[in-house]
Amino acid sequence: MVRVVKSPKKGLVRSAAGHLRAITEVAKVVVNPGTITIHYPRERRKYPENFRGMIMFDREDCISCFRCAHICPANAIQMYPDAEGRYFPGIDYAKCIFCHFCVDSCPTAALKQSKIHDVAYKDVGSMYVTPEQMNMIPEIVREDSITVEYDFGKDIQLIKKKEFENLLVEVEKPEKPEFKAVPQYGENCIGCRLCMFSCPVNAIKSKLEETKVILETDYEKCTGCGICVRICPTEVLILTPIEREGDHQ
Amino acid sequence: MEASDISRLRQTDEVVEMVEASLIFILLEKILSIFTDELINIPLINPVVERLLEIPFLNVIIAFILWKPIFHVLILPGLIGMTLVLLFIIYFERKITARVQWRVGPKEVSRRTGGIIQALADGMRYLFQEVIVHKGANAFYFLQFPLISFLPVLLPLLFIPAGGTYGIKTIYTIPAALALISLIPVFIVAMGWASNSKFAYIGSVREAFMYFAYEIPFLLAVVAMIVLYQTPDPFEIVAKQWIPGAIMNPVAFLVFFITVLIATSRLPFDIPEADQEVAFGPYVEYSGIIFGLVMMLPYEKLYLLSMISVILFFGGWNGPEIAILGDLAPVIYLYIKTIVFMCVVSLARSIYARYRLDQSLRLGWGVIFSLSMIALLISVGWMAWLGL
Repeated sequence: MVRVVKSPKKGLVRSAAGHLRAITEVAKVVVNPGTITIHYPRERRKYPENFRGMIMFDREDCISCFRCAHICPANAIQMYPDAEGRYFPGIDYAKCIFCHFCVDSCPTAALKQSKIHDVAYKDVGSMYVTPEQMNMIPEIVREDSITVEYDFGKDIQLIKKKEFENLLVEVEKPEKPEFKAVPQYGENCIGCRLCMFSCPVNAIKSKLEETKVILETDYEKCTGCGICVRICPTEVLILTPIEREGDHQ
Repeated sequence: MEASDISRLRQTDEVVEMVEASLIFILLEKILSIFTDELINIPLINPVVERLLEIPFLNVIIAFILWKPIFHVLILPGLIGMTLVLLFIIYFERKITARVQWRVGPKEVSRRTGGIIQALADGMRYLFQEVIVHKGANAFYFLQFPLISFLPVLLPLLFIPAGGTYGIKTIYTIPAALALISLIPVFIVAMGWASNSKFAYIGSVREAFMYFAYEIPFLLAVVAMIVLYQTPDPFEIVAKQWIPGAIMNPVAFLVFFITVLIATSRLPFDIPEADQEVAFGPYVEYSGIIFGLVMMLPYEKLYLLSMISVILFFGGWNGPEIAILGDLAPVIYLYIKTIVFMCVVSLARSIYARYRLDQSLRLGWGVIFSLSMIALLISVGWMAWLGL
């Protein structure tokens, strides 16, 4: 149904009331403005613990599982080999979209989030962060002494607190999964040896017995990263918890 | 030549020198006496002034500066006072608009004072910027008009008195000052013409349109007040205002206020220099310090019109006497009232939305014009009722 809405009547009283309302409104705001600006370098907004900022890396915890590199939607993570042949992630911050899929996918919390969001690089070249640089925490010049929070309760408000916020987040480390790649279904093996070539720590060895290829895992070297398990086309290798190691052999 | 002749000649030389020296002294004394006759009387600094007036040569300079017309034009309501007001009002306008819009406004230049020297910093920046004269411009007029547009700004200051001080004392002060102020749009149009640019041209045409729309009601509002007081002499007008003129004839004040907004292209009526449409209109091609001068022009006009409106509507320099300031007290009253009026005018931009050209033309020729006629009638009515 079409409803015809009449335009409001023009009248001296009406327009005078409108003027008065506008003037009083402005006068109210002039006396008590609702400014919600954060004076950034001197004040900082309080960010939640799971804020997606710069990605911190702990080399000790990394098991070179490649999950971060695989999951990265922007193709920003590249795995670099070190002198011992182990692979560690390096992030290209020119590509990174800060989705933190890598942080979520990391099984050992070697990659973790931080609240650092204001980082400047000298050039595009230095935005390729290598694993060695990943360990370093960026140098931060802090000018702030006040932490500001938005209060979205009734009317938007600023809550200012005189406190110094730590930008690095402490994350509870999950227990390192004690998994080993076990060649459980040896009869399926087609002898492609992809697992052998893909292993970052050279833990898998193959032996040729007549026409069959027999795989062997060096459990001392295996970090349980599961690359071989994922790459195997016939699902020969299975990640197995370490407690039941003896049962399968 | 004999020795006696030479000595006589020397004597005549000395006499001539003495006569010359005494002539200069007499001349200086004459000049000094002209200045000291109309010296501004400020008891607060009188001891210092008396000490300085005893020093030869320096006393002439001091007396010149404190001579009423020069003090008026150069120092308090005049050049230095105006510069201070301009620096303040630009800062104030930005800050108050920011406050209304929930922003912070200028703050980073001198943080402790809340950025009060922002306008000064901008001026410094303009000074060090290159003044570009583009190819199409008529370079001679392009550079000349911003400078000579100071004439219609500074000359009205000579006429507008400030109680204790005055430049030229005539009874036709208000008409003379208004005639000079209404020359300013001519210079703005000329600037737009000399710029020879599309936006500047549009801006000039708009300025010309608006000029005709507001000038008649504006003058009629002033005429209404002159009719009410029955004299164009500001001294008499201020003396008669034991009730402020704005209460005696509020319609005239309303017309005056709106036309001041239009005349100085303040925001609800910033039609000639609309930032979002014609990118500062007639001033679009200017850069560097010349742009700084040109940008100040509407603010200077606002200062002058505010001063006139304070004299006409708010009792001018009326106020309790302060003995220690002497002649300076009324000047300061006028100055402060002017600043307050300017602040109110600059608040208007955050209250109202912009008008289009056609809307403000209709407003100018329609509502405001008829209101100004009503104001005239009210003044005549007061006159008839009071039997003045």
